[in-house]
Amino acid sequence: MTDEAMSEMSARRRFGLGGVPAQFGLAIIIAAFWAVFAWRAPGFLSPFNLFSVGRALAVDIVIGFAQMAALATGGMNLSVGSIGVCAVMTGGYLMQTLALPVPVAILGALGLGAALGWLNGFVIARSGVSAFIITLASANLYSGAMLILTKAVPLNSLPMEVGAFGKMKIAGLVSPLLVIALAVGLVLFVFYRHSVLGRQILAAGANARAAKMSGVPVDRVITISHALSGLLAATAGMMVVAHLGAAMPAVGGEDWLLPSFLGPVLGGTPLSGGAVAVAGTMLGALLVTTIRSGLLVLQIGNYWLQLYLGVILLLAVLVDRYRALYQERRGIPMR
Amino acid sequence: MGLALEAVSKTFPGVKALDSVSLDLKAGEIHALMGENGAGKSTLIKIVTGLIRPDSGRVLLDGRAVQFGSPRDALSEGVSAVHQERNLIPRFSVGENILLERLPTRNGLVDYGAVAREARRYLELLDPGIDARAKVLSLSVAQMQIVEIAKALSSEAKILLLDEPTASITEHETAALFKLLRKLRDDGVAIVFVSHKLEEVFAIADRITVLRDGKNVARGAPMEDMTRQTLVSLMIGRPERVAEIAERQVDPSRVVLEARGLSTTRGHKNITFALRYGEILGLYGLVGAGRSELAHAILGDARISGGELLIRGEPARIRDVHDASTRFRMGYVSEDRKQEGLILMHSITRNVAVTIWRRLANVIGLINPRAESRAVAPFIKRLDVRTPSLGQLVGNLSGGNQQKVSIAKWLAVQSEILIIDEPTVGIDIKTKTYLHELIGEIACEGAAILLISSDMAEMITLADRILVMHGFRLVGEVANDHQYETTSRAIIGYIHAVGDVTPAPAG
Amino acid sequence: MTLFRRLLLVEWSGLAVAILLGALALSVIAPNFLTEFNLYVMLRSLSVGLLVAFAQMVTLGVGQMNIAVGALGGLTAIIFGATIELYGFPLLLAIPLALAIGALGGLINGLLTARTGVNAFIITLATASAFTGINFGITGSIPFYKMPASLVAFGDHHLGAMPYLLVAPLIVAFLLGLFFSRAAPGRELLAFGGNPQAAELSGISRERVVVSAHVLSGLLAAAAAVLAVAQLGSAQPTIGADWLLLSFAAPIIGGAALTGGHISVLGTLFAVLLLGLIQNGMVLAKVDPYWVQFVLGALILAAVGLNRWRAVNSGVA
Repeated sequence: MTDEAMSEMSARRRFGLGGVPAQFGLAIIIAAFWAVFAWRAPGFLSPFNLFSVGRALAVDIVIGFAQMAALATGGMNLSVGSIGVCAVMTGGYLMQTLALPVPVAILGALGLGAALGWLNGFVIARSGVSAFIITLASANLYSGAMLILTKAVPLNSLPMEVGAFGKMKIAGLVSPLLVIALAVGLVLFVFYRHSVLGRQILAAGANARAAKMSGVPVDRVITISHALSGLLAATAGMMVVAHLGAAMPAVGGEDWLLPSFLGPVLGGTPLSGGAVAVAGTMLGALLVTTIRSGLLVLQIGNYWLQLYLGVILLLAVLVDRYRALYQERRGIPMR
Repeated sequence: MGLALEAVSKTFPGVKALDSVSLDLKAGEIHALMGENGAGKSTLIKIVTGLIRPDSGRVLLDGRAVQFGSPRDALSEGVSAVHQERNLIPRFSVGENILLERLPTRNGLVDYGAVAREARRYLELLDPGIDARAKVLSLSVAQMQIVEIAKALSSEAKILLLDEPTASITEHETAALFKLLRKLRDDGVAIVFVSHKLEEVFAIADRITVLRDGKNVARGAPMEDMTRQTLVSLMIGRPERVAEIAERQVDPSRVVLEARGLSTTRGHKNITFALRYGEILGLYGLVGAGRSELAHAILGDARISGGELLIRGEPARIRDVHDASTRFRMGYVSEDRKQEGLILMHSITRNVAVTIWRRLANVIGLINPRAESRAVAPFIKRLDVRTPSLGQLVGNLSGGNQQKVSIAKWLAVQSEILIIDEPTVGIDIKTKTYLHELIGEIACEGAAILLISSDMAEMITLADRILVMHGFRLVGEVANDHQYETTSRAIIGYIHAVGDVTPAPAG
Repeated sequence: MTLFRRLLLVEWSGLAVAILLGALALSVIAPNFLTEFNLYVMLRSLSVGLLVAFAQMVTLGVGQMNIAVGALGGLTAIIFGATIELYGFPLLLAIPLALAIGALGGLINGLLTARTGVNAFIITLATASAFTGINFGITGSIPFYKMPASLVAFGDHHLGAMPYLLVAPLIVAFLLGLFFSRAAPGRELLAFGGNPQAAELSGISRERVVVSAHVLSGLLAAAAAVLAVAQLGSAQPTIGADWLLLSFAAPIIGGAALTGGHISVLGTLFAVLLLGLIQNGMVLAKVDPYWVQFVLGALILAAVGLNRWRAVNSGVA
């Protein structure tokens, strides 16, 4: 087995039963960062900052979930950003131009996200072409279509409730968006661990051929996974609209690509599929948001942020890999 | 040139793969290496070919101690190997694959004309029909194996190691290979021949080394002194026990699956047979006969282009395995358990419960993991799967236990029609006997079994009737009297009546 | 074998036909298409894209991905600009230095991937972030405007419709084609991409192959960056920002296998040409520029679909 396959196997091993160990290390790293930031900049722990961090975190978490849903099947979804922005503009259009009630507009946007995701999944399952290529193409198709239709004009006159929701504070600290993100996480956790469909998705992601020959309706399952991915991307889009109070075509797109992978990868979801780490994805997103916000508060040039993110991602992945190797060498039985 | 391994040991986390093993390979001999799966054969092979280093002991080449740091080292010292798995570059040509380690160049660029010429020299020794310029992708499995053998030959190695070289090739090609091996031996090459096919080992080997549980139980014993019983008992540590299959009364009117003049997109024509409840219907054929493809077509994985398939008397259109299992209570134990039969990175529980998840789910569609384990446990117990826990990843189990898990999932969903494809390939003899008895039990319980196998002894032990397939056609049917001599002759007779005349196996 | 079948087997035949048809259509629809100036503009726009596509093609050849293609390009571009504007390096020194930086970035990617066994996707995702960070950290988003006149002129000059800028990429194309089809090291790279285990068993060093591929990729990205600076006339930190998707699109449309072991230099070249043609056509026909993305996506799908169809029909699935 090649080194790469081995490291993936090791990553996967920890999730044979939806195990937890890797996330513990992540939690410690995050706590360490918080300690450092809080010490160096007291404003870091201020209710205002906590609120902002929570709000940004909420979106990153859901974007991470969107990618995680695709990774579960052993593929990936390069169109998370495109679906996100399509949902944003559709929601805005429904709310503002068509003046539909906000909940209806939101449902419409989510529905579109799910539909676009479903389309991805359908083509992937039917054509047998890799998810990478299909979603690479669809990312361009969806973004392009959106640009053509909207002419890149932002929609700034959304109903007041939308922006207000984004500014709302629970207990002066927590954004309802964060609560939504956590709720979504809970649902996903239960879904992948306890539902039949969740198990089928992971089986198909681990070994599509074996799953098929065991009676799992692999095509259907992959299509649903990508629809879920699209739905989650749309959800993230709606959260951004609440945050901004407006529907802007500049949102999403390629900007979401990196964050969508950072959460799951840092959290231990293997790229090759077959396992998901819901809690890990949330922690991974938390790490990224922590660093971003910390650097902002410390007024370390925003420009160097990317460098730190990249280095941290590298370190996290390397540490993880060596941990797994160490476990193997010691013959520590896998859970 | 001779190769010797002296007191070589190798330990992996949790298991001692080799315990002070020795191998004494002389120039100009064909030396068989045998042992059950898990006996240490593959570890030994990896040491000889430079893939891994021994923890202790020495490797000697012509009396000179050597240390192989990588496959390249072994290659440069004249050790060449044909491994079990295919190791070819799919999009490269046959010639390029054969000469991959030493592509001939002219003016610094690869000289493809020379590549084809050189490669042809070795191909011709085995199968002149293979075009050196063809892409490996376009070859059949048998041809690919020939190419690999040609590749090993082309290195003009003094030490040649062949690991299950005849697994995918026809009798005709095997005969050609053996002729070639004898010639090489006479030219002074030292050949290690690893195979689980006892008849072949008896036909070709001069001496034999047998491993069991990581230790030598025979070291370079001359083949003349060896008998089949001795060999098998050496490998398993006790005399071989043939499975006892209980007698069943099969009611010929209770037909559960019937094929009438089936043809498929894979090339089958006019396949007609009937399978009854409680019956073990054998489907015998050599590699490439089209048996697995037929199974796949019945299950909906390949397309039926003509004829009729009736299940329980009604015409059936099976869309896929999901359909086959849920609507028709069919199951399929795949011949390729690692790729198709199991999900190696998931636990035993997940692998077995995959067929019953729907049933385990409560009103809102959720499954309690403990209920899942409880549902799976009885089957693991019944099949005697050796594992510390149900959460153990299937990839960590031994081949025999993996196969048991692969079967367990169909037992869990109480399949009434079970197609079992090559159930004991690469399985140790103990488990093999166990699985045979299990199949007998399942039939006793009323299930209908279509058994696909290219293992004659297994077929004759188990089947009630045996269909013979050759070239994607059914060429005969034999009522099984469980007597090896007569029944095997009848089966082979049917195969030869159709195809080329192939030399009878020696020994 | 019939001529049609033969043509079907040639991978870039579909692309060549599409290009011919497209060019034909454009020359009818838009009278300016065939003018020397327009052709020059179109060909010029291909130069950077070609090298970017090749940079990714090389890593695809070994079955990996280089997400840092754009980031490395951007970083190299501003270092190139900095050495010239801030330290007065002559071009003869600055260009090799820029290429060396690119190769160094590739070396980092390659070593990390080969030594740690972590997926190249993740490694280059991380280094991309790091490179971009360094880029913006150094420049604070401010470009270097004072590029030597000779460089800028080189970026503008042309012989008839052929821009000077395109010569280097074409030479690179030729060399790469030769490398992968006729040179032993190139064949080793593709062998590894086609079946890493088999390649290793044949004595091909995994580390050497992976590192070489990434170094070559970085080198090509740096070359693209230098050309981009010449084309723009200034060293912008945003160079490379939009390279990523294109870097995959072109080789894939050109017939590269994502799993590795199969790339087509000519196919990639035609793909870049086709994309350039489409873009040019859209400008000439005054089509809404927003259609570009849409068409790009459709093109990828069409190309992949065609490849699939072709594979199934010629029996080499």
